Amino acid sequence: MGLKDDLERFREVGEERRQDLAEFISHGDLAPSGQDRVRVPIKIVDLPAFEYDRLDRGGVGQGDADVGDPVDARPQSGDGEDGDPGEEGGDHGYYEMDPEEFARELDERLGLDLEPKGKRVIEEVEGEFTEMARAGPRSALDVEHFFREGLKRKLATDFDEEYVREALRVAGWGPDRVFEWARGEAIPVSKGWIEDAAEGIDDPDRWATIEEMEAGVDHEPTARRVRREGLRRLPFRREDERYRHPEVIEREEKNVVVVNIRDVSGSMRERKRELVERTFTPLDWYLQGKYDNAAFVYIAHDAEAWEVDRTEFFGIRSGGGTKISSAYELAAELLEEYPYSEWNRYVFAAGDSENSTNDTAERVIPLMEEIPANLHAYIETRPEGSGVNATHAEELEAHFGDADDVAVARVAGANDVIDAISTVLHTEETEEATPA
Amino acid sequence: MIDTTRHERKRIADELREPAENARALARTLGLDPVDVTYWIVTHEEMNELIAYDGFQDRYPHWRWGMKYDRQEKKSRHGLGKAFEIVINDAPAHAYLQESNSTADQKAVITHVEAHADFFANNRWYALFREDVDAAATLANHARRIESYMSDPEIGREAVEEWIDHVLAIEDTIDQHSAFEAVAGREDDADDAAEESPVENLDLTPEVEGELFDEAWLERYREGEDDPEPGTDVLAFLRRHGMAYDEAEGRAVEMDAWQRDVLDMLRAEAYYFAPQKMTKVLNEGWASYWESVMMGEEAFAGADEFVEYADHQAKVLGSGGLNPYKLGKELWEHVENRTNRREVAEKLLAVEGMAPATFHDRVDFDAVEERLAPTPPLGAITGGTLPDLRDLPPAKVDGEALQAALEGEIDAERYPWKVLTYEGMAERHFSLAKRRNQGYLARIGTDELGEIDRYLFDGAKYGTVEAALADVEYTAGWDRMREVRESHNDVTFIDQFLTAEFVREREYFTYEYSHAGEEFRVASTDPDDVKRKLLLQFTNFGKPTVVAADANYRNRNELLLAHQYNGIALDLPQARQVLERAFELWGRPVNLKTIVKELDEREREVARRRGEEPEPEEQGLLVRYDGEAFETEELDWEEVEDIAATDVDYRTRPEDWL
Repeated sequence: MGLKDDLERFREVGEERRQDLAEFISHGDLAPSGQDRVRVPIKIVDLPAFEYDRLDRGGVGQGDADVGDPVDARPQSGDGEDGDPGEEGGDHGYYEMDPEEFARELDERLGLDLEPKGKRVIEEVEGEFTEMARAGPRSALDVEHFFREGLKRKLATDFDEEYVREALRVAGWGPDRVFEWARGEAIPVSKGWIEDAAEGIDDPDRWATIEEMEAGVDHEPTARRVRREGLRRLPFRREDERYRHPEVIEREEKNVVVVNIRDVSGSMRERKRELVERTFTPLDWYLQGKYDNAAFVYIAHDAEAWEVDRTEFFGIRSGGGTKISSAYELAAELLEEYPYSEWNRYVFAAGDSENSTNDTAERVIPLMEEIPANLHAYIETRPEGSGVNATHAEELEAHFGDADDVAVARVAGANDVIDAISTVLHTEETEEATPA
Repeated sequence: MIDTTRHERKRIADELREPAENARALARTLGLDPVDVTYWIVTHEEMNELIAYDGFQDRYPHWRWGMKYDRQEKKSRHGLGKAFEIVINDAPAHAYLQESNSTADQKAVITHVEAHADFFANNRWYALFREDVDAAATLANHARRIESYMSDPEIGREAVEEWIDHVLAIEDTIDQHSAFEAVAGREDDADDAAEESPVENLDLTPEVEGELFDEAWLERYREGEDDPEPGTDVLAFLRRHGMAYDEAEGRAVEMDAWQRDVLDMLRAEAYYFAPQKMTKVLNEGWASYWESVMMGEEAFAGADEFVEYADHQAKVLGSGGLNPYKLGKELWEHVENRTNRREVAEKLLAVEGMAPATFHDRVDFDAVEERLAPTPPLGAITGGTLPDLRDLPPAKVDGEALQAALEGEIDAERYPWKVLTYEGMAERHFSLAKRRNQGYLARIGTDELGEIDRYLFDGAKYGTVEAALADVEYTAGWDRMREVRESHNDVTFIDQFLTAEFVREREYFTYEYSHAGEEFRVASTDPDDVKRKLLLQFTNFGKPTVVAADANYRNRNELLLAHQYNGIALDLPQARQVLERAFELWGRPVNLKTIVKELDEREREVARRRGEEPEPEEQGLLVRYDGEAFETEELDWEEVEDIAATDVDYRTRPEDWL
């Protein structure tokens, strides 16, 4: 017994109590995870106790704030376990995995066997960093060259200004004379500069002779000044940048582009929105884990479609009506950048099956047939059950039947999420595949 | 093989012996009365272990320690939450200094520790559980017993660990305001209740008093009974009336002896640690305050060490979130200032012709503050000014020590406090004379002046302001602070001393969750709201109060736990998990009565569109667990009236938010 034992026991507990993947997807808190980092909470991260609901309890903060200002609430450390101040109680145990591991686990959990296809031939960097180019990533900058050029430039143009000014203070010495002298001393000052400096110079007869000046004034050589002033004052120039290039080797890469389409019209309220997030996020992780290179395209639509980024994708909601084909039109356009010959494509759409009259049959279905992809999928999120005007999913099913590149799934509640994901991912496998 | 760590440790220990002795002496001179402390030098690894074990070296086997250790280790690896010391409530107290700390850090820790040691020795809440307890031995004893159960082939590690898990979930439902009483089986016992009523001597608002001590309890208290009824000590209740659940037989069975024993041990431990949890702000603030006086003002650290020390302080006080050290220290300074200010005001109001109405006109506050500064020899003691101390009133100077210093036996320049008495020190550190408190005296309100004036015995005691000031007792602030540290806990401390002035000066605000905006927002800057919100964090360890209400609910021997709703709802998912554990300790179905807030999705929409905050509906709820499944039942309001919020409501959401 002892701490070592307790520590080991904790690790065991952490692993065995790591929230089951399916449960995590259906009910877990997706917030701490990111695009490429999956954090599955350890189920019993701490011993449960009677606690206040975190949202309801609110808290106390400090600072110059007005009523109504948003607050970045951190967990309060009012409880008494640790003596440490600022112990935020956050950072609850997570089992962290990258998308690859997530994909493996999901494969196991759902009995999948997806083989990513190699498509695009791309240039792969593998060789020595020998070639030089004028542009490139910061990390490849040839710093020595860059620095040397700057230093050279500094040495070529820099001079001790005070020293030259003192020369102007030699009795009877005008700009011409000083210029001559400077040339003799190999001081790289321009005549123009000297003339400007000569104007309004104070105490022009400080020194009787140049010898006196030279004896009395310290001439600071450039090197010393550079040392004194520091490297930041060196005149670095863009044209000096040189980037090393690695030798280029070709290789076939497994790419995937995932198009996520979401109905954000008025009818898609919080619960539906959440179900979409729960379904799409694991799908994204899965594909990211399976493929070397994953690109994501997010399209939001109501009666019109527009492209968004990931953070906006799950959050927004508009008030308008619904026309699903608008999204597919935009998708077709955006996918031109990802030709099917080079990219594996997955086009996932989600909504509550509501659509403008005839839009499904007349526009969506033809568009889906026109856009080549590994897999098209539609996820219907309808907690309230089927509706009269909500037939999109039904129509798709009727038309595409058992096609192995179109999947239709229904999610009425959190408990259906994992099944829906399974259906979608199994569809591509074989024709006889049956959803888990 | 040479054990270099032991060498190191011995060297460090030797080096720190004198600073430790000096710290003790300085603490005494400042009026503190610490319990004896034994210092230990430990490695970084050992420090993490100690912290994992809550300051002890020997605890029963459980993964929770592993988890604590894991967290602590991660934090210290990232340079966060660096562990400086840990002190435990025992006699003598033990303090641990990390080997790798710089000397400045060590000194800071030592001064901090001495202040803690004073707190433990004098705060009444620690006394509740201290009679003849050798904590380390007791905890080690518990560890041995639990280990033996685990290695008993008829019981096994898993069963014991599971049992411990169950009990720990209910750990905080003890009656922390009472002395620990062992539960004596099913017979009613009549042990002597705690001697003095904690209710007296505290200047509590009726709200808080009501929170801490419900009517029934107070009544029993006054009658001198102890507490045999179902109530706040749920653990005791379970111990007395609960049963274990036998999976195989599918029914409740009497708890085994080992199960009762483990329950008893864990409950005792919960009581042992309760005072620590209840006085965190008070205690840490206390230690921070005195550490600052000793390190900063008395320059306990050498000049060169001081910069490091400032860094240490910044790290400790600058941490994010609600920082008990900072809040505590600020509150103590507030207590000190208020008391001192009152003392000065009292003296000034006793000047002939001085009245509250004309106070601010007549008094030249700058001059007063100057006058309150320590008499020159006291303020800066050097070799040269040393002899001047002889001219001061003897109460302020330690004559013998001064003599020794003049003869060169004591280095008074390095340790000026060695030649002063408590009174001398109090004057030297008088808070109102410090630059950072400039103007504090002038800010006294006319209400307070009026109050003081009303109780003034002799309104013309002094002829001049000068005479009045000469009579100011510089020890007022510190005397009062010591009184407070004796009788208060976090809740009473905050309740009494978090004044409107304090809240406004430091710009505290409350925040609440807005369902309309789906984010937290600043809700109120009203001092009363802030105080209530803060009290929420500390009352009952910052946890909702759940009591054992019935051992025979619905006449089916079911347990009923009741959440005493105060406006803030329970974390229901977690509560369910607790119920699962409670079931294991009861053997039969368990119920929880609570009030939840329901928010209709549609209503939220409507409200949001209107630019309003939706108003959730309160609904009584009964959650029942029978060992296999949960059942929830909505309750009519009459059924939950007894648990519904009455006087104290912790909600601070404003009417018109958006």
